[in-house]
Amino acid sequence: MTNHCCGPGYASPAEAMRAPREKLLYTIAIYTGTGIQKPDYLCTIDVDPESSTYSQVISRLQMPGIGDELHHSGWNACSSCHGDASMERKYLIVPGVRSSNLHIVDCGTDPRNPTLFKVIDGAEIKTRTNLSAPHTVHCLGSEIIVSMLGDAQGNAPGGYLQLSKEFEIVGRWENSMGSIKFGYDFWYQPRHNVMVSSEWAAPNTFMPGFDLEEVGHLKYGREIHFWDFEKKEPKQTFYLGEDGLIPLEVRFHHNPDSSHGFVGAALSANIIHWWKDAAGDWQWEKIVDVDNEPHPEWPIPIPGVISVILLSMDDRYLYLCNWLHGDIRQYDISDPHNAKLTGQVWMGGLLGRAPEVNGVRVTGGPQMIQLSLDGKRLYVTTSLFSTWDNQFYPEIRTNGGCMLMVNCDTENGGMEIDPLFVVDFGKEPNGPSRCHETRYPGGDCTSDIWV
Amino acid sequence: MTSFTITLANQGGAAFDVDHRKPLLQSLREQGVDLPYGCKYGGCITCAAKIISGKVDQKAQRALNNRQINNGYIILCVARPMSDCTLEVGVESHDKLYRNPFLDPLAAHELKADIATPLEAKK
Repeated sequence: MTNHCCGPGYASPAEAMRAPREKLLYTIAIYTGTGIQKPDYLCTIDVDPESSTYSQVISRLQMPGIGDELHHSGWNACSSCHGDASMERKYLIVPGVRSSNLHIVDCGTDPRNPTLFKVIDGAEIKTRTNLSAPHTVHCLGSEIIVSMLGDAQGNAPGGYLQLSKEFEIVGRWENSMGSIKFGYDFWYQPRHNVMVSSEWAAPNTFMPGFDLEEVGHLKYGREIHFWDFEKKEPKQTFYLGEDGLIPLEVRFHHNPDSSHGFVGAALSANIIHWWKDAAGDWQWEKIVDVDNEPHPEWPIPIPGVISVILLSMDDRYLYLCNWLHGDIRQYDISDPHNAKLTGQVWMGGLLGRAPEVNGVRVTGGPQMIQLSLDGKRLYVTTSLFSTWDNQFYPEIRTNGGCMLMVNCDTENGGMEIDPLFVVDFGKEPNGPSRCHETRYPGGDCTSDIWV
Repeated sequence: MTSFTITLANQGGAAFDVDHRKPLLQSLREQGVDLPYGCKYGGCITCAAKIISGKVDQKAQRALNNRQINNGYIILCVARPMSDCTLEVGVESHDKLYRNPFLDPLAAHELKADIATPLEAKK
């Protein structure tokens, strides 16, 4: 190993792939919307196959109050400050989408037993920045930015909250939201001076649940935005139309020189690819189109609902989840214009293809995923968002969510559900909970950006 | 202060006197009722309750569509009482709150207030 002298993360994606195997995972679990009057919490899960507690939750950090709806999370520092020896990947920022509270969790002092370091009160964020509903967290060198999906009253488009490395509110990060209608995820590629942001909906629209009819009333997003990253303002918008309904997770290639990136359009169930052409102009195209599936008793066919996408650290494979159909797919995107399906597994979903896996009834479908740095182990959770879970998979209230692991063939392509790994969140001590995003202590395939 | 009596039908008929100027969630929590909630600005539906009798002012809510309102749902974090009320609270009251939109679409008049087509306007 090299660079012990330096800051967090790795000098390059290639170096990240050679890192030691992950032994712990941090996964959020919620009680918000379940009827159990307990706080949401951060689980530490043992994924060391040599350990006697392999495939179990080994510690639980409760948030101070109820009703946060923990969802995504991000580190205080990543490979973007690898060159800064004064920085350390120690704190996980864990927002509550509904409460707007930001929980700063110390995972560095005792990685097996994270502790709450600080809470930035949602009410203070609303008062000082007129923002609410935090979602994606990325570090920017020594600063932290969080996409906030609404204003203080839950209206779109919200904006971006900037925190200092001491977790003080700096204010709004962006200089302008331009004509952006909605916010959601974002990713930046500094060598191209670009950030790309996507669109879910206003908190007041998506938080109560999904009214499909509101899509036609333009209450949900269908555009992606290319920002001048240094000027902190949007520069160009692509209207994706029917091909890009509800564009969610944004992923650039890990390779910091690449201009290629991808977004999963959840409701259209398409993968949209963009890149900078020889003339220096951004272009986009659709590279994957998942067909809707008819249901024998329902009037409207079921879309895949691509709730997440992820790229392997070597940028060779793209993974996606069809949360309503119940499959995870692996595509070889060595040629990013031509995605080739190389693997597929089923767990849960509304089509009834895999109601039970590893002895556990899967309620929900494959949803958030996190891939090991070497690309071989994909950890999968099944809950999307409490209100949407309650609409599509009401049995999750009593069954809880679960985490499974998929073994990925990085040489020839292909995926297989690991028969020995399952974490059943239906058996949690305070009752059935629901698991969502996962992070690895040393960084993972969606946490780090190279500058 | 004008006060009203709020009766919780699914909590053994427990009754509480509340200030008509305060949101019901705040008044009930201050008196020790353990209720679910989330955003506290009327947008997220986590605190929804069902009104069995009585009247509330919930102009500030943005979470409910017209079908949910017609089924008696109110948003406790912003709803203020206008009379004595009887409520069912918590997820036990949510039997008609959630629906699968692919199985059970909304009619035009059942959408949220800002985009609904009023029934009488239809031919």
